[in-house]
Amino acid sequence: MSQVSSEDHDLALAVLEHDQLATAKSKRYPRRSIKGVEALVVWSLRIYVLFMLAVVLYQVASSAR
Amino acid sequence: MSDPTAVVNGSDEIVITHEDIDRAHDRARVLDARSHSGFFSKMRLLWLLIGPGVLVMLGENDGPSMLSYAATGARFGIGFFLPFIVLTFAMAAVVQEMTVRLGAATHRGHAELIFERFGPFWGWFSMIDLGVGNFLTLITEFIAIRAGLGFFGVPPLASVLSALLLLYLALMTHRYWTWERVTLAFAALNLVFVPVALLAHPDWRSVGHAMLTWKPLPGGLSKDTLLIVLADIGATVTPWMLFFQQSATVDKGLTKKDIHIGRFDTFLGAILATFAALATVIATSPLFAHGMTGENFQAAEFAQALQPLIGRIGASLFALGIIEAGIVASITISTSSAYAFGEVARRPHSLNLPIAEGKAFYSVLFLCAAAAAGIVLIPGLPLVYVVLVVNVVAVLAMPPALVFLFMLVNDKEIMGDMVSPAWVNVLATGIVVSLTAAGILFGISVIAPSFFATLTGR
Repeated sequence: MSQVSSEDHDLALAVLEHDQLATAKSKRYPRRSIKGVEALVVWSLRIYVLFMLAVVLYQVASSAR
Repeated sequence: MSDPTAVVNGSDEIVITHEDIDRAHDRARVLDARSHSGFFSKMRLLWLLIGPGVLVMLGENDGPSMLSYAATGARFGIGFFLPFIVLTFAMAAVVQEMTVRLGAATHRGHAELIFERFGPFWGWFSMIDLGVGNFLTLITEFIAIRAGLGFFGVPPLASVLSALLLLYLALMTHRYWTWERVTLAFAALNLVFVPVALLAHPDWRSVGHAMLTWKPLPGGLSKDTLLIVLADIGATVTPWMLFFQQSATVDKGLTKKDIHIGRFDTFLGAILATFAALATVIATSPLFAHGMTGENFQAAEFAQALQPLIGRIGASLFALGIIEAGIVASITISTSSAYAFGEVARRPHSLNLPIAEGKAFYSVLFLCAAAAAGIVLIPGLPLVYVVLVVNVVAVLAMPPALVFLFMLVNDKEIMGDMVSPAWVNVLATGIVVSLTAAGILFGISVIAPSFFATLTGR
């Protein structure tokens, strides 16, 4: 990693918000708890994705034949 | 509001990277401009902060989109599709504004937030789907570049190599700010379609009448026209746009204080892109008057067909516009793939990274573009099939991307007081439902045309 001068170091700390720093981005937001309507929506998306994947694969296979 | 960085404030030492330094210099100029009052300081602040919104909107006016607008003008002339295009960009602006707020409030990219908040399944799904869709779209961009340069007699190999060289030169600055300005300069050329439209000498009263009445629509609302409408609505927002604008907002370093300008940037981009799209429809409307639908035209063929009607200069500008559209989109789309890869794979991802620190990021970015460019040189490429798969992949990706965007922007834990107000949610819900439904219906029409014909009874 390249050397950082003390002026640049101080500037970065002065003008950047803490969670803008590259190292801060390695810290993750916690997984969201999904309940009620949101859970229903996410499950619908799962079913949609699986269904569409099957349709797309079928379509690709038929076109290739 | 949960703060994932809190631990850094504890015993961990804060490491400042090269990426941080470059961003800090950009932010220092923003803070300096903000500290002064007066018109010129406000203009300077605006100049410093605009970028991602204009780029994403002009990037969406990509090669295939401009050819689609050209085909619309040739097939339907001046009428229904003019106000319809304005509506689609207005919808896109509402959706893209949410990505500005998300990026500025969380300082995280879209793929990253989906991965962290909804788990690895959706994280990887989003990234892979985005990657496949982007790659196929990149192929169509290079086809547009090759066809546009073909009008000027440039051989295919030289065409794609020149485009790749431009992309490489923009990257080699290793600086987000320079990359953004270079790409913005190219993107401004999207407005080259405006003089082309003027050269077509349109009847401005017809244009005004169409904008006010949404008429005429030659042939009425037939099955084919309905499919074009659905395809256009479904393509109003594409997955790469969400991922790109949020990641670029983060890379540029926008904060909550900049959101109002980020919003302006998005609406400005939408207005410029609307002008370019309307100009393209108007530019090719003389073909409609001469009974040339241009249904299967490529870029060069449109330019050639227009030449007797608008002259050599107009035709050359049209071809130039198609080249620009392909180049800008190839830059922004490949960048969105690299951002998403870095976010999900937890690798450094910023255009401020020196090559040595961002090998994975730059490799994904450049290799995606290079591979797509290479494929374009394959003789007998089944273009129709590529476009079909692009559409289907976009349909697969869009509902999850839009639903997660909506859920994230209303997630108080990460957004705090920046969650959407109720009226925005009502508007956004309507748009998200419309975009999703139109996309799915269009997808069904592509995958199973007979089913769609039965459904519409025609």
